[in-house]
Amino acid sequence: MTAPVLAAEKINSYYGQSHILRGVDFHVMPRETVSLLGRNGMGKTTLLRSLVGLVKPRSGRVFLHGADITGSRPSFAARAGLAFIPEDRGIFPNLTVIENLTFAARPGRGARVGWTLERIYSLFPRLAERRSHWGNELSGGEQKMLSIGRALMTNPDLILLDEATEGLAPKVRDEIWATLRQIAATGIASIVVDKNLDDLLALAERHVVMAKGEIVFDGTAQALKADAALIHRHLGV
Amino acid sequence: MLQRPSALVAIVLTALVVAALLVPFVGGSYAIKFTTRVLVLAIFVISLDFLIGITGLVSFGHAMFFGLGAYSLYFISPQAEAANALVAFPAAILGAGVAAAIIGAFCVLTRGFYFIMVTLAFGQMLFSLFYTSRIAGGSDGAYINVKPEVALFGVTILDFDRRTAFYYFCLAALVLVYLGALALARTPFGRVLQAIRRNEQRVGALGVNTYTHKLLSFVLAGAIAGFAGVLFATIDGYVTPDLFGWRQSGVAIMMVVLGGVGTLFGPILGALLYSAIEEVLKTGSWVGPIANHWSLGLGLILIAAVLAWPRGVAGLFETHAPPAPPGRDQPSGDLQAERPQRGKALAVEGLTRAFGGLVAVNDVSLKLAPNLVHGVIGPNGAGKTTFINVLTGALKPTAGRIRLDDEDISGRTPYAIARCGLGRSYQRTNIFLPFTVRENCLIAAHARHPSPFRLRAGKFAREEEREIVHALAATGLSARADARASHLSHGEQRQLEIAMLLASGARLLILDEPLGGMGAEETGRVTALLRALSVNHTVVLIEHDMDAIFAAADTLTVLVEGKLLAHGKPEDIRRDPAVREAYLGRWGQEIVR
Amino acid sequence: MDLVLTQIFNGLQYGLLLFLAASGLTLILGIMGVINLSHGSFYMLGAYLSLTLTSLTGDIFLSLALGIPIAFAFGAAIEWLFIRHLYERDHLQQVLLTFGLILVFNEVQRILWGTFPHSVPIPSYLSGSVKLFGLMSYPNYRIAVAGLCVALALAMMFVIQRTKIGRMIRAGESNREMVEVLGIDTRLLFRFVFAAGVTLAAAGGIIAAPIESVYPGIGESVLITSLVVVVIGGIGSVRGAFVGALLIGLADAFGKVFLPEFATGLVYALMAAVLVARPGGLFGRA
Repeated sequence: MTAPVLAAEKINSYYGQSHILRGVDFHVMPRETVSLLGRNGMGKTTLLRSLVGLVKPRSGRVFLHGADITGSRPSFAARAGLAFIPEDRGIFPNLTVIENLTFAARPGRGARVGWTLERIYSLFPRLAERRSHWGNELSGGEQKMLSIGRALMTNPDLILLDEATEGLAPKVRDEIWATLRQIAATGIASIVVDKNLDDLLALAERHVVMAKGEIVFDGTAQALKADAALIHRHLGV
Repeated sequence: MLQRPSALVAIVLTALVVAALLVPFVGGSYAIKFTTRVLVLAIFVISLDFLIGITGLVSFGHAMFFGLGAYSLYFISPQAEAANALVAFPAAILGAGVAAAIIGAFCVLTRGFYFIMVTLAFGQMLFSLFYTSRIAGGSDGAYINVKPEVALFGVTILDFDRRTAFYYFCLAALVLVYLGALALARTPFGRVLQAIRRNEQRVGALGVNTYTHKLLSFVLAGAIAGFAGVLFATIDGYVTPDLFGWRQSGVAIMMVVLGGVGTLFGPILGALLYSAIEEVLKTGSWVGPIANHWSLGLGLILIAAVLAWPRGVAGLFETHAPPAPPGRDQPSGDLQAERPQRGKALAVEGLTRAFGGLVAVNDVSLKLAPNLVHGVIGPNGAGKTTFINVLTGALKPTAGRIRLDDEDISGRTPYAIARCGLGRSYQRTNIFLPFTVRENCLIAAHARHPSPFRLRAGKFAREEEREIVHALAATGLSARADARASHLSHGEQRQLEIAMLLASGARLLILDEPLGGMGAEETGRVTALLRALSVNHTVVLIEHDMDAIFAAADTLTVLVEGKLLAHGKPEDIRRDPAVREAYLGRWGQEIVR
Repeated sequence: MDLVLTQIFNGLQYGLLLFLAASGLTLILGIMGVINLSHGSFYMLGAYLSLTLTSLTGDIFLSLALGIPIAFAFGAAIEWLFIRHLYERDHLQQVLLTFGLILVFNEVQRILWGTFPHSVPIPSYLSGSVKLFGLMSYPNYRIAVAGLCVALALAMMFVIQRTKIGRMIRAGESNREMVEVLGIDTRLLFRFVFAAGVTLAAAGGIIAAPIESVYPGIGESVLITSLVVVVIGGIGSVRGAFVGALLIGLADAFGKVFLPEFATGLVYALMAAVLVARPGGLFGRA
């Protein structure tokens, strides 16, 4: 039995008094792509932030490569192979594209240097064209690509992507999905949050649905498609 | 919020007053002089606490009004005679107050770090004015040759040349200033100031002109500081420009924090503590050669105090009432006892809001009938929140009109729209956490009153009281009226937000994700509350909890990418294929109910 | 004319020295959000270090070379002991704690060096003056100081624009959280920024010492004027600190020549004018 890359046990996270995550159990296996589904306000972002350490869970534990990282600083989790890409992309507006990309570039665990600047440029040709532009001069889609590229440059084992394609035109969305497939093929595990059920069903091996701070489904695309009531109840109208 | 001092504090303060009364009998003239200084400093520091602790304005130049008050005695006193205190003292207070009005008019436009900087700057300007120029002796300072006296119709009643007389005068002055400041802080005006300190943005959104409130507080604090200054000048008959300087302001802030910010009695303890420390550390016979470097000890004490006891000495007096157990309230039946009131209707025509090239709200036309619960849903957050922001005046519409009943409110300020009866709650709870439930509603009720500077509750008190009781009953919080907002459960805090809107007189409530982060039981309770509210109000809510919204709403409006996709009864919306596709993509078609 | 020109040059040179102190202050305030009133005390520390080290080594530039690592280590220690507790606290507490630090530093200075003013000798190879534009003589040392300040300013620009640590500083200014998420321990970054910032102030104090005498209290006027520069230039902007410092230097020179009684007042009036026209400072984010 392989051990999960990332595992969370009985996480309870709060925002002030607001009890957002209620006893959440979650895990990601190596090389696995997991989708995280659910309507707004159900706790998806809080879960990601709790995993990476930006939110300290009031109870429960988080394990990365088997080591307990609950309560550690996010920089610690990042250096241990976790890359978090927030919903607002977090591009540094006063740094250029190339400066953003190389900002935290480092070899991965076991000194892997799979992702280099050249490889990022071949994955995202548009970034190569705009390499000397300031971060805030890029369009929304380009910023998304930049944030993904910047995360890849840290040679992570696991990417947490909050809102992969929100606010992007359909054509750009397709590019992002294709990119995510390519990244998955290189062996990086990922948790992908998005609202496009069709695309996620095609991309991910496993699907997790959240509602009101709890996990209500954790299984394969087959099982999800078969449960129409669940889809309607928690994802539809 | 600031209450009357607890029994313990009252006892300590009374003991201090009694001790003070006895000082001239047990101590020599040095002791009297020392204690007079403490009394006068306490008055100065109370005025600063009113500014920092009550209103939340951290001023690093407050000493300038202290200095102005002191120097005014110099200017008023004739060369060889005593000035009449009945003229000199009010003149000092008035002079300082006028200066505070002029300087404050500019300073109060700024906030935070910038406010600290401009007050510092003005203080330094005044300092350098008196230091380098030849007004009043420049850097050498100036003497007041004869101390003032209180004279009426030519008869001297009190001669302040006599230490003891002046001492008792200062003691009386301190007691009056403290009681006055305490009373002022507890008037409606004072309460609004305290709310401004906690959450200025929220107070503004409730309909209060925070600028004028802050300016008035600044002027009052400046005038009292001027009073302290003129008293200070009377002690020694000598004034120097150092009285204006930032070090003097810094020491005053030190006394406020050491004593306890925002308590108003803390400054008295702080002034006493600081003077005592200074005296002890300076007296060579007690501490040996360290006495020469007493400010080292003071600095270390200050650092330790900030790190370890941020609440100051007053923190020792705080009793921590155990948080009241969570209430088991349901929304009360009191609502039925009232005549059902008509909520407001909302009509929107062609409403559009664009940000450059991005159209967030696109030509939305909608009519929402009164006394119903209307849900607003949609797959992604952006359009809905912008829509609400435009309705409440936080953003101006690019095109289109908004009507509340028959009134066109398009483009009005949030303050004006709030006063028309449209109340809004926020995604993140935006209440005054340190205040009790009742006090939160009180602020909301105060804010709707046309006259902001009320000192007495007056004839509106009964009406406000009724509104508050009704608001608490309607939201099921009557049993928790005296609990601190920070001790409430999350669901109760959301209920409090709604109660505040009711207390402020809103007849149409717009609630932005009121069920966020709630468990099943709380969700049920709040959903029942929303339905009960629709008897007397119109409720519009944005939510993602589909079960709840189907239970609560009479109509549903679906927004997708800024456009109105559908509007109608919940069951019809559920079956609408276009809506399904918006949420589920092609799976929406395949899964047919 | 001679006098006016000299004053203008003095003003520029004063402005350049002020820039060293203010640049550190603006970075600390911009990246860490901490108001550090003891910043002027580090300038004073520099001046007194200059006194001691120059009497030991005989040369002020040697003192500078030795003083910089001393100031850096001391700054890092102060950050670790006191400043790092202030990141989550409100302005009032920051003001008070750093005010306490001023009291402590002032007394320590008094204990170690006493209250009498001292002078630090100008190195012999820079004594004397040079004829500028054939119009006036200007002291060599002052020109050297101005040159050194400009060199330091250029070095700072280089570090901020072209080095890895500079990128971290710029990024930290716009999105602290993202910096942490990308794997950089912001605690260490903050310690570095604080130590570097106060070292700049100390360096200014070191090289300024031979120009004016060294006495207790020089830190305070530098502090207040640096704060004014930060407000004028915009919090977090080194470029703003440069422009603001030069403006203040010139205003101060003008004031001394034409309005000697209101020279200091002029500086504050300038700040008020900038705040009215551009509330965020000349180069700040609004």
